Amino acid sequence: MLRMDGFVYRHASSWEDALALWQSNPEAQYIAGGTDLLPNVKHGLFAPKLLVGIGGVPAGVRREAEAIVISAATRLDDLAVDSSIREHLAPLAQAAALVASPQLRAMATLGGNVMLDTRCMYYNQTLFWRQALGYCLKAEGTWCHVIAGPKTCVASQSSDTVPVLLALDARLRLLGPEGRRELSIRELYQYNGMDHLRLTAGELLTDVVIPTPGPGFRGSYSKLRTRDSIDFPQMGLAVCGQWEGSTPRTLEIVVGAVSPQPKPVRGLDAFVGAPLDDAAIGAIADLVHKQTRPQGSVHGDSNWRRQMAAVFTRRALTALRG
Amino acid sequence: MKSLVTLHVNGEPLSLAVPASWTLLEALRYGAGLTGSKQGCDKGDCGACTVLLDGKPVLSCLTLAHGVRGEVTTIEGLATPAGPDPIQRAFDVCGALQCGFCQPGMILSARALLNRVGKPTDGEIREALSGNLCRCTGYTKIFEAVRMAADGCERHVPIRYGTPSEGFDVIGARGRKADSIQKATGEAIYTDDIQLPRMAHGKILRSPHAHARILSIDTSAASALPGVFAVMTGADLPTAYCIIPWTPDETALAVGKVRYIGEGVAAVAAVDEETANRAILAIKVEYEPLPIVKDAEAAIAPGAPLVHELDWKGRPWADNVCKEVDLRFGDVEAGFASADAIVEDRWFYEGSTHAAIEPHCAIGQWSADNKLTVWSATQVSHYLHRELAKVLGVGTEDVRVIQPVVGGAFGGKSEPFDLEFCVAVLAKKAGRPVKILYTREEVFYAHRGRHPMDMAFRVGGTKDGRITAVESDILIDGGAYHSFGLVTTYYAGQLLTGPVGFESYHFRSRRVYTNKPCCGPKRGHGSVQPRFAFECAIDELAERLELDPIELRRKNMVTAGERTVNGLLVTSSGIAECLDAVERASRWTARRGKLPYGRGLGVAASMYISGTAYPIYPNEMPQSGVMLRADRSGKITVFCGANDIGQGSDGMLAYIVAEETGVSPEDITVVSGDTELTPVDLGSYSSRVTFMAGIAAQEAGRTMGTAVREAVAALWKVPTDRVAKGFGVYTDRDDSTRSIGAREALILAEAAAGTPLVSAGGYRTRKVGGDYRGGTIGASPAYSATAHVCEVSVDPETGIVRVEKVWAAHDCGRALNPQLVEGQIEGSVYMGYAEALMEAHTFDERGLHSGPNLLDYRIPTSMECPDFIAQIVESIDPGGPYGAKEAGEGPLHPVIPAIANAIADAVGIRLRRIPFTPDRVLAAIRAGRA
Repeated sequence: MLRMDGFVYRHASSWEDALALWQSNPEAQYIAGGTDLLPNVKHGLFAPKLLVGIGGVPAGVRREAEAIVISAATRLDDLAVDSSIREHLAPLAQAAALVASPQLRAMATLGGNVMLDTRCMYYNQTLFWRQALGYCLKAEGTWCHVIAGPKTCVASQSSDTVPVLLALDARLRLLGPEGRRELSIRELYQYNGMDHLRLTAGELLTDVVIPTPGPGFRGSYSKLRTRDSIDFPQMGLAVCGQWEGSTPRTLEIVVGAVSPQPKPVRGLDAFVGAPLDDAAIGAIADLVHKQTRPQGSVHGDSNWRRQMAAVFTRRALTALRG
Repeated sequence: MKSLVTLHVNGEPLSLAVPASWTLLEALRYGAGLTGSKQGCDKGDCGACTVLLDGKPVLSCLTLAHGVRGEVTTIEGLATPAGPDPIQRAFDVCGALQCGFCQPGMILSARALLNRVGKPTDGEIREALSGNLCRCTGYTKIFEAVRMAADGCERHVPIRYGTPSEGFDVIGARGRKADSIQKATGEAIYTDDIQLPRMAHGKILRSPHAHARILSIDTSAASALPGVFAVMTGADLPTAYCIIPWTPDETALAVGKVRYIGEGVAAVAAVDEETANRAILAIKVEYEPLPIVKDAEAAIAPGAPLVHELDWKGRPWADNVCKEVDLRFGDVEAGFASADAIVEDRWFYEGSTHAAIEPHCAIGQWSADNKLTVWSATQVSHYLHRELAKVLGVGTEDVRVIQPVVGGAFGGKSEPFDLEFCVAVLAKKAGRPVKILYTREEVFYAHRGRHPMDMAFRVGGTKDGRITAVESDILIDGGAYHSFGLVTTYYAGQLLTGPVGFESYHFRSRRVYTNKPCCGPKRGHGSVQPRFAFECAIDELAERLELDPIELRRKNMVTAGERTVNGLLVTSSGIAECLDAVERASRWTARRGKLPYGRGLGVAASMYISGTAYPIYPNEMPQSGVMLRADRSGKITVFCGANDIGQGSDGMLAYIVAEETGVSPEDITVVSGDTELTPVDLGSYSSRVTFMAGIAAQEAGRTMGTAVREAVAALWKVPTDRVAKGFGVYTDRDDSTRSIGAREALILAEAAAGTPLVSAGGYRTRKVGGDYRGGTIGASPAYSATAHVCEVSVDPETGIVRVEKVWAAHDCGRALNPQLVEGQIEGSVYMGYAEALMEAHTFDERGLHSGPNLLDYRIPTSMECPDFIAQIVESIDPGGPYGAKEAGEGPLHPVIPAIANAIADAVGIRLRRIPFTPDRVLAAIRAGRA
């Protein structure tokens, strides 16, 4: 069995408590569901001396003025069946229900899904395997085996909920050594698989704040994967908008799991305000195809994943326009 | 450092001192001895470790013990004093447990579902179980069990509950497996569940190079670490071995050279796994990397580096071809000359691995008087016994091998592995028992799975539907060692000649060494690959000849009593009935070729051996032995070396002995797979156990049954033939008022004998096979027959193939227990489906595995697994026990070509390379349109 070694565990009962514990040890890491962190520790990718458990911090969904606020400690399976999420933010419930497997959804938190480390077939492997590889840019090495170069790590942001949260314009409440701040989720990610989160050390995600969608909101999340359970996305596509019949009044499309950064599709304004006919849908699908450049860091032929972004776009829009 | 944690487990507080780094799984298994929760993948990919936390299924392998807040329920907590939970009983009754290793987790997921939703839909059942991978059942019987539990299942069910075949009391009845309730409740003890006093934990240091000379190994720093008891290297065990005694080319740990990434180089034993892990990192090995042979094509390229310089007799190898077979039967040239159409193409079969959910595990212990006991998750305890003695240089009388319950094998545990030798040596050096449990990654390196094969085939046929000639040239990528390679190379040609026969045949097959983990026997050893090529080729042939594909197969059937073109005697065959059954069930005639674009039907057929005719090492002794011992309580104990690896051979022995003695299967205990207690059976490979151990059990049972009838006859003062055996009772044929219970009858017989009542039976080698060099390889006392129709839908925009249904008709001779036969058919079809659509055991230019874990190496979940409709066909074989033949491997073969042929029907493309991944399918559809 892969064993872990060398850390102690402390349980935090509040975000403030968690931060204080984190500050007590320079080699501390937070652990919520642990579903991504512990495999990485077992693989020798991280060697924390202290794990600060934040899975027990109060979870749940609540309403604030004009917004739905989700505690970062909310379990994905709870999110998937939460009545207000299903009613107002159906694509988020859909994405949460498509993450991994039932057990993993019962453990994993929304915060963990947002903060998920980037993934790569050359990175998420055992220490032995990576040693045989000669390591990679993201861990201990100097070379990215995906793009065969020494400069950029293209490990993939692989969350299912993240493309939806971008499409919904979610804001993130953070607590860190410098205090509290709020950040648009669109500002969180950068195109660097080694350091894809624009955060300061020790910052915790406490809440995800989603503006309550306006009337006529419809959206969907579609996930490309080999198996219909367990697998991470090979590509994920969120489409959200406000609709009047078949006319989108707003339209957001975000492609996930193709690179270190989720990819909001640009140029959709041209299609807003008129009924979405087949030609318009075809044009949007072409736009998505053009702007989607999947990296080979996750399973599946990159070119095929790119084509699938277009196919999924066409299918999602056709279904959403009614 | 350990610290105290108080958990609430199964309604009780449980205080344990465990390290902060331990997961809940480690705390439960190794801290509390609650070994019902299993470890399969190390890191949350398989679900075997599932427990309930406040009623929700969670993965205990990714939950820190110290982080648990809430009530934990493990499999041990489901049963009550009133009996097992209905869901446990339903799994038992439905045959939803084979190896049983994934089931504790699966059962807990099912329990949580039923608590949440009283009457779940099929979709809800699939979804709820989709985080629990099962490798044995194809999920079919698991779904059935959940439905049964939802409908209410009795807590107590008799072991036999179906109707037996006519003229039998037990044979032919649906019935439970011998050990399934133990598996369903977490009581069954697998190797890693065993903890011995003072037991140390071993780890093997593995090579990060695919091909390198070992210049030096410095173990001093490892030895000096506190808590390290023993260190060893290849120098401790230089004797070469191989499962096939003619080709010993492998050592327990590398000697002089490493030949694949992951090959063992040194090993340690320490106070715990964490210390052992630190110790192997402290071993310094100096390597001189060598150029590598990355695949079969590279292996035969001129000037290729040699994977092995010398063979087992010290002769230099000229090239990397470790075995070549070239055989001709009939006039192939004339066959092609008379053909109206010839299909000629190349097919490629990708490698795949067994991925049994239980990782290999072994424990070694020496007694004070120098006797070695090895517990191992093996499917060949007898061969392991022999090889241990040989390599360790001790007498076989000083070695005992015990096979605990095995959590799936499929051929992946059918030869000795490094850990079994290492635990023996380390235990000797450490002076205490040593356990080694592979990580999931190590299982991938141990491998011995499906050989990649590059296959050129040429098949000719006439307008009237005769297949006149078949020619093949097959290049087999063997990996770094021989394993069963000699046999594989023959099987690649020899097993193709039925149930669809042909008039002339030439095959050449070459197995080559490459710098990759060694391939070996995976379910359908050696013959699944050429079957794919051949069955696709004849489908194309049918198209060119404008014949229905089923009709073409019918016209070329090898029927009972006939010999195949290479001289295999087919003693029985239900292939005609199999083809009829799937044709009818799939509504083939009305639908094939007539479904809308994107939907299609495909057919394929196959046959397989019921054991190899001859033992692996030549000898005149029985290939299988069974001993029976009756006791005065009315029970019988069956002793047999056969390895129950989940397929249910223990139950099979019990049913046969019950049939012959009149004692209920519930009163029969089977002791198997222990070389000290049981007579030799060669092991669970080549689909031999039901046939051979079945014959031995029949003979032993018959002898005991006769002794009992004679004793009853003496009591009643009637001729013996007047005493008839019933179910649990002996009766007088001529006087229906007179009967005696089986228990009393056994006591009478013991008194009459004046000795304990015992008997023995054996399966003796039957001389079969062709009269030419290699003619005995592929020869079997009986052959099964199979035909499948698959229905697929292909999304022409994404290339995603969904297999909707598989109708699988399999001729297993007589089905001794139809429920277990169906389980074998469903499990085989599942495994073939997985190979066709998703599995790929692949390596990069460095010889590095593309993802040795159960997240990257994807095996199907309950979500996408098709509906399997297993149909049993019973051609009663004249030589099998009650006419039984094999069922465990044959039904895998046709799935892959049937899916390929269905894709051709659906979208008009012929795929010649597995797996049929969506990018390949889409590219082929587009190329077809262009």
